[in-house]
Formats: sequence, structure tokens, C-alpha cells
Amino acid sequence: MSAEDRRTRLLQVAAGAVFLAVAVVLMLIVVNASSDDGGDTNLEGAGEVNRSLRGIPQQALLLGDPEAPVELVEFGDLQCPACAAYTEEILPPIIESHVRQGQVKLAFRNFTIIGPDSLDAGAAAVAAGAQGKGWNFIEIFYGNQGRENAGYAADEAFLEAVAKASGVKDLDQWDEDRTKFRAKVEETTSEAESLGLTGTPSFAIRGPNTDGLEIVGTPNSTAALEEAIEEAR
Amino acid sequence: MNYPSEWNLRRAIAFFAALGVAVATYIAIADAGGDAPACLAGGSGCQTVADSSYAHVLGVNIAIFGVVGYVLLLASAFFANDAARLGGFLIALGGFGYSIFLTYIEVFKIEAICHWCVASAVLMTVIFLLQATRLIAYGGTDGTAPERA
Repeated sequence: MSAEDRRTRLLQVAAGAVFLAVAVVLMLIVVNASSDDGGDTNLEGAGEVNRSLRGIPQQALLLGDPEAPVELVEFGDLQCPACAAYTEEILPPIIESHVRQGQVKLAFRNFTIIGPDSLDAGAAAVAAGAQGKGWNFIEIFYGNQGRENAGYAADEAFLEAVAKASGVKDLDQWDEDRTKFRAKVEETTSEAESLGLTGTPSFAIRGPNTDGLEIVGTPNSTAALEEAIEEAR
Repeated sequence: MNYPSEWNLRRAIAFFAALGVAVATYIAIADAGGDAPACLAGGSGCQTVADSSYAHVLGVNIAIFGVVGYVLLLASAFFANDAARLGGFLIALGGFGYSIFLTYIEVFKIEAICHWCVASAVLMTVIFLLQATRLIAYGGTDGTAPERA
């Protein structure tokens, strides 16, 4: 093959690759632009969340048997994408094998760091907790997160839809409680700050083998979290 | 048209690719440093970007792909043959295309800008232009050939 032929061949391959790259980038952008625009009240995964939590006692934002020897405390922000990922990927096995069995109780405490809307969302979760549906609310909320601080987290219609999907029976009461529980959210946020936490989700644990409430940070896997539970037990 | 000599293009590619390796390595290490992705109080754009679902592909931090890509680009600068020219161009094209996509995601989806990602996108753009120039100017020549007219 002559040098000129080689050159032509090379440039043809390059040009083909450029067309392909342009097409792929455009496709990726179009696909991403059309997905998850949010704002509607079609909540994803509500049925699944409610099924997975069925039969586990709930009081306020405490999931599990209140008498369980180990208490795992999650400081989270409902608008935080990392918290949502954590709840979807790392916590379910813990809930199934430890919380449901009555060995561990899991407490959610609002630590609002993303923005002011997190306060509205957090208070709505506490209000759902007052009707025994706090964790359903939290998990359904996480499954339908929008963009941080885009306004969805304080949107009345969205919060009410999440509450309804969570199984909150008395929506009037829930609505009333929401205002009242803003103070509760501020209180747990201050608590997190006073514990020196800087991000969400952050975990703390209390058990027969811990010295009060001990910070465990953000274990990066179910196994790491289980290890912390073992040590506290 | 007068192109810079291939030697100069290769040196420039090596230089920017080495910077790219440094930037991508920094991002990868910074990401691996935290025990898990977390939302930081008062966090900057970088944290938001790093925590977004776009920061990992198949569970691998995209910065790792960045490191690999820049190392290959660096390697392409060490050879003056068609394989290196075309390979370098294709990798730079992929990196450049992906950078465009990520910048779009940062601006319109995550609505946060991470300056390290911007640095990488700029480097990738420069390397892409250099590789394209190199391929157009010297594709099909052997390593010792003088520059084409």
C-alpha cells in the first residue's frame, strides 16, 4: 500500500470515528435530557418500599423493635443523593437480617446540609413517622429524589404524594404536624453538628459494647456496617 | 499549509497528557480517600459532581478511565507511526466526546461545576486538537519523513 493510500485509509477511519463520536455524544445528551425531569407525582418504587418494610415496627423515625440491643443512627438529608444510594444499596440487607430480626433498631435523624428545602422534607418525614410511616416516607422520597435545591423537596404536592404513597392515613394531621416538627429537624441537625459530623449519610451506633453513642462515619459497604454492628453487640 | 513538526506535536501531546494523568489521578485518589461518597456540609461543586450518579460507570470512578486514557495518550506520543497517530486520535476523540457529555451533565443536570473536571476537559480538548493535527499532517508517512506540504 502506498503512503498516500495508507493516509487515505487512516483519514477515512478517523472521519468515521468522528461521526460515530458525534452520534454517541448527541444520543447520550438526548437520553439524559429526557430522563428524570421529575416534578410529577408518579412515585417510583412505592409498592416495593411498602412491601419491604411491612411487618417491621416503627415509632417516630425508629425502625425496628424499640427493645433491640443495638441502635444504629443514620444522620441523613433527604435531598442528599449519597443518602439515597446508601438506602437503596447498603441498608436493605441490614434491615432484612438485623432490624427485622429484632437485633438492631435503625433511627433516622435529619441532618439538613443540602439546603433549606431539606427542612421541609425532613419535617414531612417526621410527621409521617408520627403515623408509623416514617421509613416508608424516607425510602419513597429517596427513590424519587429530584435535583438538589430545585424546589421539589419543599413542594407541597410532592410531599403530600410521598406521604400518601407511604400509607399515611390522616393527611390533615400529617399536614399539621409538619409545621410542628420543623423544630425537631433543627434539633437533630444541631445534634449532628455537635457530634462533629460534616456529611451525610453519617452513622453512629449504640450498643452493649459501645461507650454511649459512637460515631462510625460512613461505612462503605453492608459488610463494613455489619462489622460495626458486631462490635457494638 | 504549514503544520508544526511531528516532533513538536508529540512533545506537546506528551506534556498535556502528563498533566492529564496528574489531574485524573488526583481526582481518583480524592474519590477513593473518603470511605464512601457523602454529601459534605457546605461542599463545593466537586463534591456534588463526585456524588452524582454520573461519577461512576459500572461501579468504576470515571477518573480511573481518565487516568488510563491519559496514560495511553502519553504512550501515543512516544511513537511516530500510524498506529500511534490513529490510536492517539481515537482515544483523544473518545475522551473529548466524553468530556463534552460530562460538561453538559455538570452544567445542565448536576448544576455544579467541578474545576478539576473542567481542567481535564480543557486538557482533553487541547490533546484532541493536537492529535487531529498530527493525524491529518502526518498520517500515512513513516516516522522519519519530513513534514508534508
